[in-house]
Amino acid sequence: MGKIKPTEAARPVEQSDETKTASDIWQADYDAQIGSDQKIQNRSGIEIKPLYAPPDESDDAYQDKLGFPGQAPMTRGIYPTMHRGRTWSQRQLIGLGRPEDFNARIKKILSAGSTALSLIPCNSVYRGFDCDEVAPELLGTCGTVVNTVEDMEICLRDIPIDKISVGLNDPLPFSLLTLMLTVADKRGIDWATLTGTSNQSDYISHFVANHMFYRLSLPGSRRTLLDTFEYCASTVPKWNTLSIVGQHMQQAGATPAEAMGLAISTALQYAKDCQARGMDPDQYLARFTFFFDISISFFEEIAKFRAGRRIWARLVKERFGVTDSRATRFKFHAQTSGCDLTRQQPLNNIARVTAQAIAGIFGGLQSMHTDSYDEVLSTPSEGAATIAIATQNILKHEAHLCDVIDPLGGSYYIESLTDDMEDKILGVIRQIDEQGGMYRAVENGFVQRMIGVSAMAFQDKVESGEQVIVGVNAYEVEEDASSRPVLERPAQSAMQAQVDQLTRFKAERSQSAVDRALKILRETCQSPRDNVFAAELDAVRVGATHGEVIAAMRDELGFGQPLMVA
Amino acid sequence: MTMDNSGGAKSGEDKNRGIIARLLDGDPAALARAISIIERNNPASKDILTAIQPHVGKALVVGFTGPPGVGKSTLVNAYIGELRRRQKKVGVVAVDPSSPLSGGAVLGDRIRMSEHISDSGVFIRSLASRGHLGGLSPMTAHVADLMGASGFDIVILETVGTGQSEVEMTEIADVKIVISAPGFGDDVQAIKAGILEIGEILVVNKADLPLAEHTIGQLKAMLALRTPTDWTVPVLATTALDGKGVIDLADAIDRKAAHNAQAFNQRAPIQRDPEWRLRQILADAAGKRIETYVRHTESARLKALLHALQDGSIDIDAAVDDVIDALHEDVLNDANA
Amino acid sequence: MNEVASPPRVLMTKIGLDGHDRGSRIVTAFLRDAGMEVIYTNPWQDVSSVVNLALQEDVDVVGVSSLATDHLLVPKLMKGLKDAGLAHVRVVIGGIVPDEDEANLIKAGVSKIFHPGTPREDIIESVGRLAEDATNERPSL
Repeated sequence: MGKIKPTEAARPVEQSDETKTASDIWQADYDAQIGSDQKIQNRSGIEIKPLYAPPDESDDAYQDKLGFPGQAPMTRGIYPTMHRGRTWSQRQLIGLGRPEDFNARIKKILSAGSTALSLIPCNSVYRGFDCDEVAPELLGTCGTVVNTVEDMEICLRDIPIDKISVGLNDPLPFSLLTLMLTVADKRGIDWATLTGTSNQSDYISHFVANHMFYRLSLPGSRRTLLDTFEYCASTVPKWNTLSIVGQHMQQAGATPAEAMGLAISTALQYAKDCQARGMDPDQYLARFTFFFDISISFFEEIAKFRAGRRIWARLVKERFGVTDSRATRFKFHAQTSGCDLTRQQPLNNIARVTAQAIAGIFGGLQSMHTDSYDEVLSTPSEGAATIAIATQNILKHEAHLCDVIDPLGGSYYIESLTDDMEDKILGVIRQIDEQGGMYRAVENGFVQRMIGVSAMAFQDKVESGEQVIVGVNAYEVEEDASSRPVLERPAQSAMQAQVDQLTRFKAERSQSAVDRALKILRETCQSPRDNVFAAELDAVRVGATHGEVIAAMRDELGFGQPLMVA
Repeated sequence: MTMDNSGGAKSGEDKNRGIIARLLDGDPAALARAISIIERNNPASKDILTAIQPHVGKALVVGFTGPPGVGKSTLVNAYIGELRRRQKKVGVVAVDPSSPLSGGAVLGDRIRMSEHISDSGVFIRSLASRGHLGGLSPMTAHVADLMGASGFDIVILETVGTGQSEVEMTEIADVKIVISAPGFGDDVQAIKAGILEIGEILVVNKADLPLAEHTIGQLKAMLALRTPTDWTVPVLATTALDGKGVIDLADAIDRKAAHNAQAFNQRAPIQRDPEWRLRQILADAAGKRIETYVRHTESARLKALLHALQDGSIDIDAAVDDVIDALHEDVLNDANA
Repeated sequence: MNEVASPPRVLMTKIGLDGHDRGSRIVTAFLRDAGMEVIYTNPWQDVSSVVNLALQEDVDVVGVSSLATDHLLVPKLMKGLKDAGLAHVRVVIGGIVPDEDEANLIKAGVSKIFHPGTPREDIIESVGRLAEDATNERPSL
């Protein structure tokens, strides 16, 4: 069960490569990609190589299980240079209050060292509502209110979106993406230059856990995702439309192995959908990305990611006949887990986030968000958010965690644990296969029950004290309430101004144009041959709001109800 | 534990009259409170149940059962929607099993029915089986009666198929729906569990699954083996998540109700024979009286009877005669006392 | 006719916009294991829905699981319950509630706030006691 069969090298092998070893190939790729001189010395004067591997080239076990970075089975990393060549994107979630607040904060964060942006919209936006449709005290507290093209323009003012990778936390039907693309048009930016991800767009995970982001029915979501995928594949070629979420399941209580297994199963389900649509696996799989939680179970997380990479690279070939190695890359963004953070002695969370971040880095992530220490209490304060970024910079520049690719590779523990995690993960994938795939497993409640059992098991461990949580069930300390960080919430007047702005926006646009476009959107929903994303774009271009677009689509495609199991 | 502690001047009877009047008037708060009273077997139950006797049997009781995971709640939810479109007022009794260890329960059927929460034409009550071995709360039938008395046209009874509870559903429901789904482990398992016997309408949910046709075929084949009655059991395909097949289901339920009514010579198709339900109530109550006597009395007469049964000097029919005789004497004695 | 003791009936719900339900599921399991009947609902209920639920299910306690600022809606819930003749129903909140808001919520009538890390026994004991209070204070109809 789960043992890797020998595989060929991921990339097509050229004639002249026949005499080259895998190591040679890796070295050549590395040299080609690494750019300027990359000699690194540590404090003691020792030169640090980018990669450490067994000296014996004929070691089949090494080739089968680990391989070189960027080569099958991808265990050590999906690129030849990994963080030594280009570090992970520092992609901190930013979202609070009004678009102006977002813009101010993102500028600060970029100048503090963040290299990519991630917009997190208000919960009202997640639920598919405009700001004039919800109780005002709920607005802007966990994310930025973005309902219109105007809002998006303000969010992205002075931000070079043709140069910076943009993460939009933007579940189906990708209204934020339509707003951003419209802004790009207005600025004369070629969509081909836009890079980024529709983070957390995986709708299956929302039906099962977290629940924040579903809006449309399951069949409606399926259709919308495929339409958007197809549309963007040719028009926004560098955009990652699909972000499959392991984080939701893990935060709901799934074990790390389960979260990985469920995420991969979900991805396989989507891949099947794309295949049924007639899309080319080499094309669409290259646009699949993942999003994971990094818990503080340090080594387990590292092994989880390494195993995930290995499994994915093999399964996409086995199940979809992929030939291009780019389509076998397990790309992922990860976020340090808020579930491990405590309300008690919040400054301790800085240490927790640091440990989690290191695990993520050693796990080979492509992009990371580090939580602020006050994340458990409210939306992060500016000071706390700055520390979170500094943490990443310290790990990169001071602890030199980027110097070596997969530095724990070869460790007896890590390799054994990677194998064990692989077995567990494959076990979960098999169980989902037996259920008939992820849709069936979710409809049957199988996934929900699996997660529920693990959640309770963990809870029991915490209560019994078996799992120590410092400051909570051990090492408790009398705390002074005044030492708690101050809550940051947008002023009621500010949010009221946002609502007023929306009213004004609606008054100033051409209502007849909007009505016409929404009518066409509705008709498109009922017409399977047409592309709903294209219709959404058209509606947004003439001033339809996020809430109006989603309401129309909900009417036509069905309102999503979470598939919860009590 | 006293139910009402308002400290006011109302007498017990007055209080009950208040609830009863409001219940009959369709006040949901009174209905909810009355259900609680019945569940607790509170002294006020008697008054309430007596007061609703004239209304017993008015609502059509439709029972849905099936193994966990087939999509029962989702189907019930879709059916409620269809009933509301037909302008019917709907009461729902959703029963989930109590934990045999703790006596507690998680009642989660509401999750799939949330779209009806603000509709005043729908009243949903979640009940736990409360230790009743069969899975159905013993009070379930009374709760259905209360809902009928409160003006609901249809009362949906939703239970988890645990074998025993299906049998009990036959006591309560006018139309009995058994739901299965294809590819659910062993399709035939549910059928073997005997629920096929009580199903008057069989539904194969998740009919979009590839094995659906196979399951439908299996069920039809099994039905062909049954002794034919004057009601032909239909096998319907639904996809509850999309609402497909729900109109056909509602129509089939109406047809069955009409069929029942015809058997009792009623004009209005949705109305069932009130006498039938009253017989049920009477039989239950009488049976309980007899049971209490036989199981718990320590009288010399009963002891002698049990001895006689044991050594075979009396047969069971004669023993029952004696029991009824003894109870009859008790009744006479009470009347004269 | 012997009256039987009724297990406490608790409504477990979420109001507002948040959807995370790991905490409410776990507490639901605690309460069930302690012998209570828990009516579990999906998130995003509005105040009038919760009032309706509490009424139809004749619950003793409403447990609101809250993240973000959803707890700010609870005072409206207290009023809604009172207006519907359900002032006896006890309301507790579990989840992330900033200290600044706690006093206001208690003043609005919330019986207890459970922060993350509250021991199981405390929750069970509190909810059980509140359920008993609610039952004793039921107004007559």
